[in-house]
Amino acid sequence: MSLRALFAAFCFSSVLLVGLPAGAEELNIYLKTSPALGLLRPFADPVNISLLVTHADGRPVEQGRVDIVLDAPKSGTFLSTDFPAVEGTRLLELVLPLRQGRAGWRYLFPIRGDYRLSVSVVAADGKAMAKTFIIPIRENRTKWLWLGLFCAGLFLFGFAAGRIFTVIPSSVTASWALVFLGAVSSVSGHDRPSTVENMERPSTALEIAAATVGKPTRLRYRAAEGSTATSLLSLSITHLEKHQTVFAIDNVPVEKDYQLDFHFPDGAEYRVNSIAQIPGQSPLRTEQLVAVTGVEPPMTAQIPALMFFLAVIALGLVAGRLSKSLAAR
Amino acid sequence: MERTLVTWLGFSLSERLSFVIKSGIFLSLCGATLFVALASSYPVVHDTLHNVRHALAVVPCH
Repeated sequence: MSLRALFAAFCFSSVLLVGLPAGAEELNIYLKTSPALGLLRPFADPVNISLLVTHADGRPVEQGRVDIVLDAPKSGTFLSTDFPAVEGTRLLELVLPLRQGRAGWRYLFPIRGDYRLSVSVVAADGKAMAKTFIIPIRENRTKWLWLGLFCAGLFLFGFAAGRIFTVIPSSVTASWALVFLGAVSSVSGHDRPSTVENMERPSTALEIAAATVGKPTRLRYRAAEGSTATSLLSLSITHLEKHQTVFAIDNVPVEKDYQLDFHFPDGAEYRVNSIAQIPGQSPLRTEQLVAVTGVEPPMTAQIPALMFFLAVIALGLVAGRLSKSLAAR
Repeated sequence: MERTLVTWLGFSLSERLSFVIKSGIFLSLCGATLFVALASSYPVVHDTLHNVRHALAVVPCH
């Protein structure tokens, strides 16, 4: 046997002996959402997100921890979403324990686009695995319908003006635009101008930093001093204006303290509830109201939308003039 | 109004130029109206049209 053939045989044996066990050490991470991925809409209903971590042979990883990072879709298109301050920012950062290979939480996605969910798993025996999932969120169809109707109204407005300007100017005024705007949607109030104030902060174990749109806010739970027992923490964040849960975790084992970073997507009021179940004691409940400081959208996000609407009116103007000219022939 | 202007200025404009000028003024007014309605942060306007802004999907809000 030549030296080259001997070396090749050695390499092949090495792959068989070392490569296969290494593959067996691999962990698999699966993502499941409810509703299913294709049905998710922004600011619709909170989504149940669950991760399943298994060994290569399909057995769930009994114990371990999952580091979770959720990043918002990046801005890049001509027209922004309705929450431009959220685009491209970090939305959520937390650590969850693995129980029978599973970890889960609820989350309300604020805008349309492709979210990046980065998951890093460390099993109790030290095995580690990282994976990134893309979660696509499509815009609500009702919003596209309203946008289409609004654009059609602007086009007809421009069309009428184009016909009028071609012959005899009329006393059409821009106030028609306001009349149409009033008809697009039912008029209702919004949250009052927000402040940094964190209302009703009782002496609880839950600390919430000042919340501002555009950056994550740290939420920290501390177990009572001297407590050695592991408590089960359930935490939920509710959007008071929309009456919807935007984030929730259930029964997370906490020894001393637990913290997570949550990005409040809009300048509204939220309620943060926590329930800590400590063995042998009654559940410790806390509730805090958080008034999130809103951030005005930048002009770079506002101007494209205005230019788009003006272009639709201009298109209507030209179409109106053409129709008038063609009718006169 | 156009006739009044023509009498006052003492000269007449071509129909095409007249259309362009009127369209420019019209678009400026529309732009100002749209800005106030969809982009201004004046509380009364913002609170009244907040749902409209969000309903249009492409209009930024806070």
